[in-house]
Amino acid sequence: MTVPSTGPSLRILALGNDILGDDAFAFLVAQRVRERIPGVEVTCSSASGFHLLDDLLGVERLLVVDTVMTGTAPPGTVYVVREGDLEVTPGNSPHYTGIFETLSLARALHLNAPREVLIIAVEAADCLTVGGPMHPAVEAVVPVIAEMVESTSRNFASDFS
Amino acid sequence: MNTKVSIEPITRLEGHGKIEIYLDDKGNVDRAWFQVPELRGFEKFVQGRLPEDMPQITSRICGVCPTAHHMASTKALDDLYKVTPPAAAKKVRELVYSTFMAEDHTLHFYFLGGPDFVVGPTAPKAERNVLGVIAKVGIETGQKVIAMRRKLRELTALAAGKPIHPVFGLPGGVAKPLSADILAQFKTVAAEAVDFALFTLDVFDKIVLKNSGYVDLIVSDGFTHKTYYMGMVDEKNRLNFYDGTMRVVAPEGNESARFASRDYAQYIAERTEPWSYMKFTYLKAPGWTGFNEGSSSGIYCVAPLARLNVTDALATPHAQAAYEQYIKTLGKPVHHTLANHWARVIELLYAAERMQELANDPETGDSNVRTLPTEQPREGIGIVEAPRGTLIHHYKAGEDGRISNANLIVATQNNAARIALGVDKAARTLITGGKVDDGILNMVEMAFRAYDPCLGCATHSLPGSMPLRVNVHNPQGDMLTTVRRDSDGSIHRT
Repeated sequence: MTVPSTGPSLRILALGNDILGDDAFAFLVAQRVRERIPGVEVTCSSASGFHLLDDLLGVERLLVVDTVMTGTAPPGTVYVVREGDLEVTPGNSPHYTGIFETLSLARALHLNAPREVLIIAVEAADCLTVGGPMHPAVEAVVPVIAEMVESTSRNFASDFS
Repeated sequence: MNTKVSIEPITRLEGHGKIEIYLDDKGNVDRAWFQVPELRGFEKFVQGRLPEDMPQITSRICGVCPTAHHMASTKALDDLYKVTPPAAAKKVRELVYSTFMAEDHTLHFYFLGGPDFVVGPTAPKAERNVLGVIAKVGIETGQKVIAMRRKLRELTALAAGKPIHPVFGLPGGVAKPLSADILAQFKTVAAEAVDFALFTLDVFDKIVLKNSGYVDLIVSDGFTHKTYYMGMVDEKNRLNFYDGTMRVVAPEGNESARFASRDYAQYIAERTEPWSYMKFTYLKAPGWTGFNEGSSSGIYCVAPLARLNVTDALATPHAQAAYEQYIKTLGKPVHHTLANHWARVIELLYAAERMQELANDPETGDSNVRTLPTEQPREGIGIVEAPRGTLIHHYKAGEDGRISNANLIVATQNNAARIALGVDKAARTLITGGKVDDGILNMVEMAFRAYDPCLGCATHSLPGSMPLRVNVHNPQGDMLTTVRRDSDGSIHRT
């Protein structure tokens, strides 16, 4: 595999909203990662649905950091999911949880979608309280996930060599 | 026992919502509600903040329409500091705003509303999604939509600093004038946007209007409500998204109120219902009479359908021609909720043409884009027409100059009572004898989705706990028991 001549081959995409409690999680991870692995593209976004499209295109590989609320695991639980691990149900909610639908759209339109998508997500306790504090268990995994993102980025990068 | 049918979550909407339909013993609809189980709290959060931060903070309410909040907030700051922006600043703002409206309406028509109308209301659920839309309109059209959207966003970034969360609005103006180079790019893209909007109108004509089944559905009684309508117009009673006078027309079409932004509280009141987080708005003059239609009920409607009902004409030539065709086909005022989709395409055309006018206006490039505020901030109100309807930001500042009080009335609140009417009526019309299949459920959701409601930012009244209400009825419709938990957490059984 050769690195494409245009654009970076790997992007770390942090999804969240830093004024909504635990939803600040990915941004805090991004802040750490940015300091520690210079040269890797790190993008933060508070957009949702199809508005994410631009952040998904133009790279070979995409590493997404996000929060989830499944309600079935304690706050701070870490999930690592590859795009193919999940059954994509387009139309379920392009406006809100639209990353998979947006990827489907990009592929259907032959846009420059990433070849591989890896999602690292942490179970959040509260992503709705404006200005709310982060749950200690969620905040505690910030350095852990930053480490994970860092090592995954290095592995991703070495695959291209 | 009654049967309860839940549709959860309402798909293709911002935020989470829930519709509940109660059936009687015969399987007919007893009552259908839409519910909003999401909590926000911006009005509390912004207390004590600096007014100048408000356009940045409030644009974070929603990941979909931040430009609308940014602009309403910026206009509220003009009023708060009693400062009038120079003509060029107003034009730059309206140019950016028109660009945003064109982008948002495009995205809604093709990808959010599209599954209902482009793919079709009775298509299997598996096809009623964005991939189904592409299958119907073709990959080339899909690519055209994406390319148009990208160009519009790039313009927003050039003029307003960032594509998603603009940072250019300041009390008394904007952060920078538009250079000749940027204006040239606006001119080029605006011309493309006008062509694209005309193309979209043609798509709508071919897929929807040429299909008598769809037209019958649009004008069907189940999706029709005779309410008041509100929107912003210029001095000649023509639609304007960025600035003007608020105009209300009655269900019969006559003007029933007309007011300046700062007088909104004399005309509009807010109320809560125990079963929803949403604060419902209504017109004070007729007053609140419950969930009823007609001129004696204060329920009104905003967004594309309402805007085309309050306007006498559209200020740009292609949009005016499309508007005349719309009125000729549906009459005026148009009471059909699903006509929102048609009205949205006409507004897309107007936004694109307005972009073109402003980009070609030499004054838009003038370097004087700021009047510095000198007054102490006291009270300010800003109103814009957001894609989803009238958006009101109202701030008060304390002696220390910080925000002491904020009231936000978002588009979906204005529409909430009419949406509740619509969901109930659609359910009654479409569900009989216990027959509830996938297509029917989608049609109930369509009654909701035509407004493109954005529940995430409408639920900001910050109650203590989630309000909930369960009604149990007998087949005669008499209420047997009500179990209600109010927003203060108290439980009532009657």
